[in-house]
Amino acid sequence: MTDEKTSAPTGAAPPREVDFLRRLSATPELGPAILLIVMLVVFTAINPAFISLNNISNALTFTVELGLIALGMTLLMTSGEFDLSVGSVFGFTAVVMWTLINSTALGMPLAFLIAMSVALAIGAINGFFVTRLKIPSFLVTLGMLLVVRGSALWLTSGFPQRTWDAGEQWLAEWLVGDFCIGGAGDFCTGGLRVYMSLIWFVLIAALLHYVLTRTRFGNWIQATGGNPAAARNRGVPIRRVKMLLFMLTSALAGLTGIISSIRVSAANPNSGTTYELEVIAMVVIGGTALMGGRGTILGTVLGVLILRLMRNGIVLIGVPGLAYNIFIGAIILGMMALHSALERRHNEGT
Amino acid sequence: MTTPIVEMRGIEKFYGRIHALRGVNLHVSKGEIVGLLGDNGAGKSTLIKVLSGAVPFTSGEILINGRTVELNTTNDAIDAGVETIYQDSALVPQLSIARNLFLGREITRGPLGRLDQGQMNAVASDLLRRVGITKNIPPTTPISSLSGGERQAVAIARAMYFDSEIIILDEPTNNLGVAETQGVLNFVRDARDKGHACIFIAHNIHHVFQVVDRMVVMRRGEVVADDLSPKTSTIQDVEDIITGEHMAA
Repeated sequence: MTDEKTSAPTGAAPPREVDFLRRLSATPELGPAILLIVMLVVFTAINPAFISLNNISNALTFTVELGLIALGMTLLMTSGEFDLSVGSVFGFTAVVMWTLINSTALGMPLAFLIAMSVALAIGAINGFFVTRLKIPSFLVTLGMLLVVRGSALWLTSGFPQRTWDAGEQWLAEWLVGDFCIGGAGDFCTGGLRVYMSLIWFVLIAALLHYVLTRTRFGNWIQATGGNPAAARNRGVPIRRVKMLLFMLTSALAGLTGIISSIRVSAANPNSGTTYELEVIAMVVIGGTALMGGRGTILGTVLGVLILRLMRNGIVLIGVPGLAYNIFIGAIILGMMALHSALERRHNEGT
Repeated sequence: MTTPIVEMRGIEKFYGRIHALRGVNLHVSKGEIVGLLGDNGAGKSTLIKVLSGAVPFTSGEILINGRTVELNTTNDAIDAGVETIYQDSALVPQLSIARNLFLGREITRGPLGRLDQGQMNAVASDLLRRVGITKNIPPTTPISSLSGGERQAVAIARAMYFDSEIIILDEPTNNLGVAETQGVLNFVRDARDKGHACIFIAHNIHHVFQVVDRMVVMRRGEVVADDLSPKTSTIQDVEDIITGEHMAA
């Protein structure tokens, strides 16, 4: 989405209040924002523990890890492409880093850089196949999903890599460290424990929101997804734009995998399986168009919170966890119907 | 005759074994609207793509203001003063008028290529007035909210703002109503009167006759007539040349 306010040009100018409501209803973030508020109210009403600091802290920890991938995916989908290999890259990057650390004398910072370079290279290969060989991203990244997952299993013989050597290393502290706000003791009793992954998520979300809505590159991303022919005719380097976004998405998936592996003290070659679908769901629920041209980081943040708090909330209110997918599927269908209706109204200028 | 702004000399283009352009010569002068006509497959689109830098040509020469130019990319063409307004691919529906006007040539300031939206909106508002859109349309309005005629006006406004000496209009009146078509034709006349050289492509010969100063007809990759005047030729004459009927007669 652009950060500009929009209005339809038809007829006489409507009263200011009507114009405001019209613009508000055309905002893609409105639907997910309302859904999130309703969820918070309902879950809290049924089980007040849902809104406790302890539960919020726990829910946010994993929420923002997956959310980091969703932020990159938002820009990629705005440019008209998507990446099904992010779940595999999530698992593989951590496996590469910890295999290097455990089987060689490499220090953690160097292993981290090598693993992140591998993630960037996977993104670059995806981008090359899509932009140069003109193969749809669905097929390219589906193939990459299998190649990367297979590589992770082959490299580890299917066994998790130990990661408890991270210990008190500064890089591990920077990635997954935590601090306590308002609490006491090792367990942060009565306070809110904030993990570094939340800080990374907020910083990267703010940066990508700025890039998408305020910068020339953001304009190019939206143009590339909205009308590639027009963008190309205006000299926008759409191949380079897509290539960079594939690399960004892959890098964020790799970073998230590393963060997760340190947090859970294991780099499992199977970790991240089906994350790609959940990440894409987060992005489209937030209002980013699956076919490109319109994207919103703020909406994705809402989409991330909706899906992860839904998983947390239904368990707290006593719904079997296995029913989670029913809720997610229903939310996706409902949100798609809402976004479609809003877009139709917006285009008709009503 | 005035000195041509653009001259295409002996342009040849092969797509594999298909000979799409056969030694095409075309020239357009300042303040002139040239209608480029021909049946499907005549080579009009290929010729326009060559001039707009979208497709490389096999051999020949392109001169702008008397100097040979290399048009290897669309950016090269835009930098050389060639603006192409495509029928469907000129604008991005989701972006605002201002962002479309400056797409690829954004006004930026500060870190990370920050858009100067205030400046872009101010210029866009002024341009909308200059191309005759008097309705109160904010420059932040998305293109998807505009009518077909208004969209073409925005595309033409872009060409005028960047002072493109040569404006190519590829089927600008397709899918437009009568009033909107007249509006677009007025924009084209206005651009001509401001000194732009225009190449106008349309399947509707009636529209071509209303607006052009001269007509060029292509058939099977060749120019078969390049100095037809709408004042001395009839629509039937031109149709006969397009179809090759005049040779049979």
